[in-house]
Amino acid sequence: MKGTDGNHGASSVRGAAAALLIAVPLLLGAARGPTLQLFPTTVLEDIKETGQAAEQMETGLQDVIARLDRQQQLYVQSKCDGAEGDPGCGRISRQLGTSYMEMLDVMATRLPDMERAVNSTRDSLEKRLRAELGLKMTPWTLQETLLGNEPTGAETSQPRLRGRSGLRLSERFRQYYSLVAQSGRTAEHSLAVVAADIYLDMEEASTLIAQTREEIGRATLLEELNQSFGVITPEMQQVVDGVKTILFGEAGQVIELAGPPTGAADDSYQSPLEW
Amino acid sequence: MIVNQNYRRLALAWGLVVMLAASGCATAPSPDCRMSDTRALNAAIESAQDRLQQGCVAQFDGYMDQLLDVAAGDPDPDNKQAFSDFLVWAADTGLLSRRQAQETWNRYFNVKFVSLRGDYNNCAQTCPVRRQVMTDMEQELADKERGMLQAALDREGYYRADRLLSETELVLEATCRACEAGGR
Repeated sequence: MKGTDGNHGASSVRGAAAALLIAVPLLLGAARGPTLQLFPTTVLEDIKETGQAAEQMETGLQDVIARLDRQQQLYVQSKCDGAEGDPGCGRISRQLGTSYMEMLDVMATRLPDMERAVNSTRDSLEKRLRAELGLKMTPWTLQETLLGNEPTGAETSQPRLRGRSGLRLSERFRQYYSLVAQSGRTAEHSLAVVAADIYLDMEEASTLIAQTREEIGRATLLEELNQSFGVITPEMQQVVDGVKTILFGEAGQVIELAGPPTGAADDSYQSPLEW
Repeated sequence: MIVNQNYRRLALAWGLVVMLAASGCATAPSPDCRMSDTRALNAAIESAQDRLQQGCVAQFDGYMDQLLDVAAGDPDPDNKQAFSDFLVWAADTGLLSRRQAQETWNRYFNVKFVSLRGDYNNCAQTCPVRRQVMTDMEQELADKERGMLQAALDREGYYRADRLLSETELVLEATCRACEAGGR
């Protein structure tokens, strides 16, 4: 179960991260006065707040995860695996357990703020989507809105929506900013897509945050009851790895940028007469 | 007795009428609805027009299908106009309504999806049948592949339609959830 704690926590962070990363494009788009009222100031404020909450969580976890890494390394180097009776190894194990509990504690402390921010963003976007795309538009006008202005070349190199990245959140944020700043403008049609994307992400994140909070409470209680601080289990390690991957991109993943539309190149029609 | 004779005469007369009608049908020439076996689109269109004028109206969809095959054998951006002219002719001669002609052409050659149309708002009209709409759009994308991509070499248009389908799926998913949340 602890493994899933980490995944849930990671996913919720990822959800909030989407808002953080897209905040700047939205701000730029709003500044140019789109006729679609998907991102009024209140929604932008909610999105910014969500981004800040994610950043605070990232900062809060950075130290404790680094410490966990050092302790784990020491544990391995000291050949403590299977040497539970050794007093030195026991001490390292207890330190590992304490750090792990601290990580859970940081997450438990930060998650309520994030949950509030995520829910607020979700609710505001929900209202705007319902009003602007659901009630004010017919299927045909929705289609025309999505087609709207064709994206520029620079926009096509924006990171894929709802994508997964192994990059540190703050760094990815900078890259988004840079890409958007180069793009010159944000097409209105993409605002509808971005709004839909953030809304779905926030909704998923909200559920996952709630589950994560519940699981953290359970995991903490179990650890305390078992008084098993002395051993770092594979499950605990999995949680730590999951959080690291999502927050700091330490899983050796490459930066994902948007590719051509599905089947754009390889699946394109080729005449038998083509040389 | 007189009544029986009258019935017999009436039956004979009716039988005669039926026989005459049957022989008349048998002698009427049935049109040859096969299109000429040509690989040139313009000639194929002329052949289809000829057959349609001879009364093979029921074969219209089949002709359209064959014409797309012919066009795919010699793809050209000008094929869009050839199909447009053919459909305008079909509408002018009353084989199709103007709306049918528009829907057919747009289904194969326009980025926009005929499957995603309606006069009411999305919460009321699209969301209740969202899955069906998406299925219809996917089928329409296959037709656009035949028309835009294979017949008219409009790669840019086809890939835009492909992306539009993905965007529509995402936006409708979010919008319809928002509509549902508003209805709770």
